[in-house]
Amino acid sequence: MDISALVAQNYAASKTATAPEASGAANAFGSAANNFLATLQTSEATAMQAMTNGADPHALVEALAQTELAVQTAVTVRDRVVEAYQEILRMPV
Amino acid sequence: MTDFSDAISVATSGMKAQASRLRHVSENIANTDTPGYRRKAITFEEMVTNGRATGEVAAGALRLDQTELKQIYDPTHPLADATGHYDGSNVSLLIEIADAREAQRSYEANLKMFDQVRQMSSALMELLRR
Repeated sequence: MDISALVAQNYAASKTATAPEASGAANAFGSAANNFLATLQTSEATAMQAMTNGADPHALVEALAQTELAVQTAVTVRDRVVEAYQEILRMPV
Repeated sequence: MTDFSDAISVATSGMKAQASRLRHVSENIANTDTPGYRRKAITFEEMVTNGRATGEVAAGALRLDQTELKQIYDPTHPLADATGHYDGSNVSLLIEIADAREAQRSYEANLKMFDQVRQMSSALMELLRR
């Protein structure tokens, strides 16, 4: 019996199982990234307005606090993702 | 977005509303001696976005206090009538100071909520960091 044919068959079968699927997780991550971007843009616009036009200081503080939390969240999630990736790389094969 | 950022927005709206109230209080105090000045008072109302109440508060319409103006006796005043009286303002400093103190306390409460939400959100992310 040709073992390489068997291996190829097994490989083809397992390849689909590990393939990334465009599921809810990806969408959730995309919307989170979009939210992050929107928060940063709002903060930037408010800060510029506060500097040039004397906008409400409450709006500025709110925007900066929201941004701080958003950046903190993004950095934490990034760190965890990178950590998980490195963990996979360290896996003995 | 999330409850945390909503809560921060709500607390900010409260602080804005109290700041607007304090602004009118200081206008009243500044105009205590203005002849014919009527005390300004604002109302608070819930903000509605797209027909739904967001839970945020906003300073509502401005009302002028319709109580009688104080009659001040000063025959040399240019506005004095035949009896030597003219219309002063109807601002009572006692009420204004009490109003200002109330605005301060409400502002502090909103600020406390703002900081509380910020700390909770931060603590949640701190948990993941380790």
